[in-house]
Amino acid sequence: MKPRNLIRIALGVLTAIGGFLDVGAVATAAEAGSRFRFRLLWVVALGTLCVIFLVEMVGRLASISQHAYADAVRERFGFQFYAWSLIAEFTVDFLVLGAEIGGVALALQLVTGIGFQWWAIPVAIAVWLTAWLGTFSAIENSVALLGLITLVFVFSTISLHPQWRELARGFIPTVPSHDTAHYLFVAVSIMGAILSPYLLYFYSSGAIEDQWSEADLGINRIVASVGMGFGSVVQMGVLATAALVLAPRGIRIEQYSQIALTLSEPFGRWGYYLFAASLGIACFGACMEQALETSYVAAQAFGWNWGESKRPAEAARFSIVYTISIFSSALLMVVGIDPLKLTMFSMALTALMLPIVVVPLLVLMNDRRYVGEHTNNWFSNGIVGAVLALTCVIAIVAIPLEYFGG
Amino acid sequence: MHLFRDVLDSQIVDRDGRQSGKVDGLLAQLRPDGRPVVVALESGFPELVRRISVRVGDWTAALGRRWGIRRGEVYLIPVSRVRDVGIDIDVDLDASETPLFAWEHWLREKVVRRIPWSGW
Repeated sequence: MKPRNLIRIALGVLTAIGGFLDVGAVATAAEAGSRFRFRLLWVVALGTLCVIFLVEMVGRLASISQHAYADAVRERFGFQFYAWSLIAEFTVDFLVLGAEIGGVALALQLVTGIGFQWWAIPVAIAVWLTAWLGTFSAIENSVALLGLITLVFVFSTISLHPQWRELARGFIPTVPSHDTAHYLFVAVSIMGAILSPYLLYFYSSGAIEDQWSEADLGINRIVASVGMGFGSVVQMGVLATAALVLAPRGIRIEQYSQIALTLSEPFGRWGYYLFAASLGIACFGACMEQALETSYVAAQAFGWNWGESKRPAEAARFSIVYTISIFSSALLMVVGIDPLKLTMFSMALTALMLPIVVVPLLVLMNDRRYVGEHTNNWFSNGIVGAVLALTCVIAIVAIPLEYFGG
Repeated sequence: MHLFRDVLDSQIVDRDGRQSGKVDGLLAQLRPDGRPVVVALESGFPELVRRISVRVGDWTAALGRRWGIRRGEVYLIPVSRVRDVGIDIDVDLDASETPLFAWEHWLREKVVRRIPWSGW
């Protein structure tokens, strides 16, 4: 393999790891670990396996057809179908971006003691400035590489010397006899956090931004599998650290500041600041992805010229959409909505819309006009079918679980 | 070719390779022998909304006529201007000179250019 390709793969894998964690992943994993110790590790593993397949497919679709996922869905399924997906996506984007901005604001609150509401607008300005001035590759590489700080959760798990046998048992699906509704609610929220539709839209748009072609299918496969695979290890680290630090003390998470305690045990006073840095950087990266994804989806839905590597004046509609979305979502934090509650609610809502996002993949990945000879084989179609069935079950139980277990 | 599957909702690409909107509707005329023939591709938000609800589409057009940059106009691209129908629809037009780019130009001049560093 050419050295240039090796560097691209390494960069892609590192950005996938650094960009894996966001406010939803931190909150749901910490909640899972503190309440049910390692018993929900299997959900993280299952969600990651699903997302690896889906992300590889949308990357393949974009590399060959030069059309991002949102673009292709509207074209192939028509606006009557896509309109529902679009409305749902904008609603979820608005809420999740608010939660991500809240994550950065909370990290600043942990460090400064000044309430997160006061940080919402400065954070929004920083996110907007980065999007306004940055190019796609600069943002992708710098923010996501900084996100490698989140690996601290993996080191903390190791340094806490867990009982590896008990941890490994967490990968076997079980349902506890007590708190079952809450257990299932957290499981659904974890799936919502991992299987985010925005990831599919963002990843496929990123493939176009990075000018991937048929020659990059190998890179796509490695980035999707190795990058996402290792990325999930970071989320498992959050879960395991919470299980080792919070669960034995019976601490139930009601605020993000409680999650900060997880790193205080292995790393002392520095752990608190490491948590704040991890949360802040991970959420800042997620803010960028979320805001850009809203613009990608809007531009692709209506056929506008788009691209983060274009100057704002060259793609005015694209730039205005992320500008409006960043500042309107920040208002959710300004008015004082609790970021943790907003995160958990958004993750369950995300789970609700998963089927309409996944179902077009079954058709698109078998349409030779889009993917040429690289159509799905029976195994890949089986996987999409299984993921679709899983997302349907999740969507059906999400709202009842939100009521009974949330 | 299936008009609804292959043409409707496809990306319009102008002669300079610019993404210039989607095919939001198709305009057909009845020939003397009673058979319909597509004469133009339509692109415009009211037409798009009409496909979901005619009434809401009409409201959108009325709002557009009063406040919109395109005055609620749906832009018609004659079929004679269509060069190729693939995943995208290639048209022999300079889209930046047509209403397809009216919003882009308005936002660029009235909003984006007034914000610092919009052209880096």
